[in-house]
Amino acid sequence: MELLSSLYEVAWFVFVVAAGIAVLEGYFYYHFKFHDRPWFFWAGLAGFPLLAWLGLGAAGLGKEGLFAWLFATEAVVLLFFRHIVKGRNSLAYLLLAPAFTGLALLLVYPFVFQIYLSFHDLKLTTIMQWKQTGTLPFVGLRQYYDVFTVPPLAEAGFFKLLGRTLWWTFVNVFFHVLGGFALALMLNNDIRFKGVYRTLLVIPWAMPQVVAVLAMRGEFHSQYGFVNIILNKIAAFSPFLASLGVGPVQWLSDHPLTTCMLINVWLGIPFMMVVILGGLQSISSSYYDAADIDGASYFQKLRFITLPLIKPVLMPAVTLGTVWTFNNINVIYLVTGQAGGTEQADILVSALYKAAFTYNRYSYSAAFAIVIFLILFAISVFYLKTFDAAKEAR
Amino acid sequence: MATVKFAGIVKNFKDNQVLKKVDLEIKDHEFVVIVGPSGCGKTTLLRMLAGLEEISGGEIYIDDTLVNHLHPSKRQIAMVFQDYALYPHMTVEENMSFSLRLKNAPKKEIKARVAEAANILQLGKLLHRMPKQLSGGQRQRVAIGRAIVRQPKVFLFDEPLSNLDAKLREEMRVEIAKLYQRLHSTIIYVTHDQVEAMTLAGRIVIMNQGVIQQVGTPIEVYRKPANLFVAGFIGSPTMNFIEGTLRVEKGHVRFSSPSLSLDLPSKLLPADGSHEGREVTLGVRPDDVCAGREAGKNCSQKFDSVLEVSELLGHRENLYLKTGDLRLLATVEAFFNQSPGSKVPVCLNFDNMHVFDRETQARISA
Repeated sequence: MELLSSLYEVAWFVFVVAAGIAVLEGYFYYHFKFHDRPWFFWAGLAGFPLLAWLGLGAAGLGKEGLFAWLFATEAVVLLFFRHIVKGRNSLAYLLLAPAFTGLALLLVYPFVFQIYLSFHDLKLTTIMQWKQTGTLPFVGLRQYYDVFTVPPLAEAGFFKLLGRTLWWTFVNVFFHVLGGFALALMLNNDIRFKGVYRTLLVIPWAMPQVVAVLAMRGEFHSQYGFVNIILNKIAAFSPFLASLGVGPVQWLSDHPLTTCMLINVWLGIPFMMVVILGGLQSISSSYYDAADIDGASYFQKLRFITLPLIKPVLMPAVTLGTVWTFNNINVIYLVTGQAGGTEQADILVSALYKAAFTYNRYSYSAAFAIVIFLILFAISVFYLKTFDAAKEAR
Repeated sequence: MATVKFAGIVKNFKDNQVLKKVDLEIKDHEFVVIVGPSGCGKTTLLRMLAGLEEISGGEIYIDDTLVNHLHPSKRQIAMVFQDYALYPHMTVEENMSFSLRLKNAPKKEIKARVAEAANILQLGKLLHRMPKQLSGGQRQRVAIGRAIVRQPKVFLFDEPLSNLDAKLREEMRVEIAKLYQRLHSTIIYVTHDQVEAMTLAGRIVIMNQGVIQQVGTPIEVYRKPANLFVAGFIGSPTMNFIEGTLRVEKGHVRFSSPSLSLDLPSKLLPADGSHEGREVTLGVRPDDVCAGREAGKNCSQKFDSVLEVSELLGHRENLYLKTGDLRLLATVEAFFNQSPGSKVPVCLNFDNMHVFDRETQARISA
């Protein structure tokens, strides 16, 4: 019975999704098909807002002023189809419509709402006002000013966090590329069990991050983690190394940022390895033949052939890696973010998360997020510009 | 400039033997073309000489120096690759000077040698371009230029023209011939195109299935092909083959096949009792199938054939003829002026006729 009801639930969900898409397609179909009919405008204006209002009302989502909003939206949609789309390429648009709607709901709406929030003041003391009246006090650019002057956390302000984030990003991406490159070079040789090695190496990346990070976090436990056990054994085996300071470390409490970096480097290497391996395999072997005849040594081939030729694959991967690492909240939150955790390892994004959901400063964090977005945007533009410039030079 | 010697070269790829005891000597200043169908092992042989492929057995000498275990760069060879293998991120100049820069040669010398090579190949204006900005023929010239800059003892060309279109290929063929006259160095050139082989080579090496079939000047391999394979591979259009049996009759040999019987002159095949009943293949080039013109005195008796199709090539015309069940291709002067279906008297020129034993495939005629 349990099974049956859960199957029923899944079926119902699938049906609702399919029906939603069908309704949406029907909606767009009307606009594409009849955009040049005289009754197009009036039928649409009368029909859709009413239907949607009734449907939403029946589902318990009816709200004051909803009908007026639907009416206005529908008028805009009708005008858009009649005067801008004009029935051109309608099949292609029709097929893209569900995807565009999804994107609009998932990306555009939250982004617009975030911008709205950042110019108002939503926090613990104003949230009830928002709930009751639907309005928020407008504060202009004050949130943006606060981002740089009021620390998001108890310990660190914006610029200290920014510095830490840049350091965190640099170290991680550097070792991702270095490690990925080394592993890819090894895997690019004719070795036995290549497929096995590749699979094993990709596992940390293919595993859900939560599982991987929590497992690794356990290994950094001061008493039971293998890292400290190994350090203990080394110190016991070689008093000389022990005298140099090799020994167990209180990873999570004394060096939270280093621990996060170690874990994240381990997590990120497989991605770079796969990308670089793909790049290496696409290099024609005749370049290496020619370089052999020209008398290049192994390192000269690496420097003059391999590196320049994998650059087109490497640059986008590094850009992506930079953005991901800069924005990485999983590792830091999972290693240090639980109750009683330290704030010493926090970077901009994890501080943002805490500001929003631990300290409930919603508008402040909305502005904070937009600042981070602008920084990342600048970094990406810079990367892509230099990459394009490098491509032009070819 | 140097001599090259292959002694008993064997190459195995796992269980597959692609080269079976290849022996070949190449003299100083010689332009040798290795030709054969794809998969015959010619490129493998060249790559083994360059040091890019492991040698499974046998020895390779350049100027009497055993090079089996010498690094490619130490063999003083230069190679031009089929896909040019120009480094895409370097300019023409950087491509050409790469080997010298690796050796840390003086800047002045690098410049002089690049300029000289560029001058020979008329690359002066292209020196600062990227390979991507060059046409196929220009890239090919840069690849050759890169080889010249190294001043090697031996030039290796690995199917250098096969990526070019037909017209450009002809132009580059002439350029390579000119280049050889100018450099006069030892060149080993691999191709699957017998026209390139015939036009460029001082000596042709014909390979099939990892075995050298014949070595000789272009005219030797054309006039006296050593076996059926060479006869069929060299020459365009392909030689006509007629299968039949030999009979020895009063002082001469008679060839008979279901559609055609000929008395062969003793000059071609002496009346030797051992030929009695021998299964043979008769080879006649399309040029030596005399159709509709006055037969020379060394011609066979005339027989009738039917014209099936004629192809006008401009100055020549290909005639597809049928005699009984036998199909023959004849190449004659344009314009032949007979319509398909008409009867054409034909005779075969004994001067250029070849007889091959069908069992051993070897040539038995003089």
